[in-house]
Amino acid sequence: MNLVFAVVIGALFGAGVYLLLKPDLFRVVLGLVLVSNAASLTLMASGLTRGQAPIAPVTGPEPVADPLVQAMTVTALVIGFAVTALLLALVFGVSRTGHSVDLDALSRAEAREAEAAEARELAHDEEREPDTREHQQRGHDEVTR
Amino acid sequence: MSLIAVPLLVLWPAAIAAALLDGRRRGIGVLAIAALTAALGLLAVLLAAVVTGGPRELVAGGWPGDVGIRLRVDALGAVFAVLSCSVLLAALVQAVLTGIRSRAMPALTLFMALGLTGLFLTGDIFSFYVFFELAMISAYALTAAGGSGRELGAAFLFAVVNLVGSFLFLIAIGALYRATGTLEMEAVAAQAAPLEPNTAIPIAITFFVAFGIKLGLFPFHFWLPTVYVSVSPPVGAMFAGALANIGAYGLLRFGAAILPAELEFSATALIVIGTVSIAYGALQAIARRDTREVLAYSAIGHAGYVLVALGLGGPAGLTAAVIFSLANAINKALLFLASELRGPLVASAFLIGALSVAGVPPTAGFFGKAALFEAGIDAGSVATVALLFVGGALSFVYLFQIYQHDRWRPRAEREREMPTGRANAGQRGIAVALALVVLALGLWPEPLLAIGERAAQDLAATGARP
Repeated sequence: MNLVFAVVIGALFGAGVYLLLKPDLFRVVLGLVLVSNAASLTLMASGLTRGQAPIAPVTGPEPVADPLVQAMTVTALVIGFAVTALLLALVFGVSRTGHSVDLDALSRAEAREAEAAEARELAHDEEREPDTREHQQRGHDEVTR
Repeated sequence: MSLIAVPLLVLWPAAIAAALLDGRRRGIGVLAIAALTAALGLLAVLLAAVVTGGPRELVAGGWPGDVGIRLRVDALGAVFAVLSCSVLLAALVQAVLTGIRSRAMPALTLFMALGLTGLFLTGDIFSFYVFFELAMISAYALTAAGGSGRELGAAFLFAVVNLVGSFLFLIAIGALYRATGTLEMEAVAAQAAPLEPNTAIPIAITFFVAFGIKLGLFPFHFWLPTVYVSVSPPVGAMFAGALANIGAYGLLRFGAAILPAELEFSATALIVIGTVSIAYGALQAIARRDTREVLAYSAIGHAGYVLVALGLGGPAGLTAAVIFSLANAINKALLFLASELRGPLVASAFLIGALSVAGVPPTAGFFGKAALFEAGIDAGSVATVALLFVGGALSFVYLFQIYQHDRWRPRAEREREMPTGRANAGQRGIAVALALVVLALGLWPEPLLAIGERAAQDLAATGARP
């Protein structure tokens, strides 16, 4: 049973990390969902025991199943769910402002924007420079005169 | 007894109420400030009680001690809680005075305060995770709160990287539970002592990676500059002064208290990673001109100091780690809050922060560095002392570079790059107040040093108890 858990957790985690490394933001979110499920499954596997239901009062000599791992797993699942919703909202925001969910396209657009800003800056400087030079020239003329 | 739960019970309803209302209205900001002040007052009382009377416990719901979830506070947790809430309060006051433009900001700050307070006050590993996730999710949302493409992108990166860290933490909790059969920190520490290295070392490494990601240590730091650069100064102060404490506290609590044998085993590795972090952070910071970027790389370097202190170990090392983390959090909050304001008063406040980071007396930072020196000398490590000296000199260089770049240039040239209006009196007041705290702690450091030593004792006691 432990081996099955280990293999499944390993496969989920591996697939999750593979998706995390993709440039498409939706795949990144999906990758994170897989990683979160791998973590939940690890919690489950960490204390899975056979026994009677852990409801008080406990009757009979049979050992009680560990309720703690299930409580932890449920909590982890709920947190994972909330986090997925937040991430999807962020992806939605990014796609609305950047018109893409592809990281490569987004960084290309960002680079173009930075270039444009730099060009504007340069143009601004050039516009200013001749006029300061003229100003200095005039000052110089005044001194010589 | 119930003093432990009260700060949480103040913050929780206030956070929910603020979440339902429009945070852009001034009244809601004031409500959030009031709730945070009340919680901070209660935490200060708790800190005083813990320092004089020893650690306190509360088992939730009146269950027997080994069944219920335990809240447990010692000097380390209490002082980190007080510090984090003070930084959040200062940042929130400044945000309210600047004018909040995002609806959720006061509520998110309160949720972050709730998460941080909870995780510093809990004695249960899984509740630690829950509170930690609460604080982190508020941080992701705060990063995105502005709504521009850059902020959303930064928030996405922040969230994805740190969530991988969170899930690694969760896996480590599962493994630790499997190995020790309990979630209660003291019992885990006792059960973990006889574990075989084959079991304990991978668990310890997973915890280390999880907290390394939060703290922004060198190989896990890549998300940090992007996030720090895209947030506003108050949010940056919250991240650098309050949220980053999770990493330092987590390393102290899980390393020094729960898995002390494994910490000792990996001491050399910790010192090496810490050293690389210090060098990398300082050199990158020197190469930057943007204040927030410099502060981000400086945070990476300072995470390294905490790690070196932990690696040196012993009572002196732990005390140094605590004192340095505390002083560093205040310094970073001060530098972030003063970074975009103008005027001579704010410039002096920034200067005090810079001197404190460099470790020049009479500032709080001096005692952080002095404690590290002491730990280095105690451990007989010449290399560490030299490293601390070089690190301090480098931080002096990069902070004065940005001081010069931001404040010693002609006004017109500066304002073309970063148009900022003159700060109002309240905003300047917050920066000056923090600077005075830094100075006061430098002139009268006994409380800081006593609390640091006390916290280190409490930590060592958790691990030693049978």
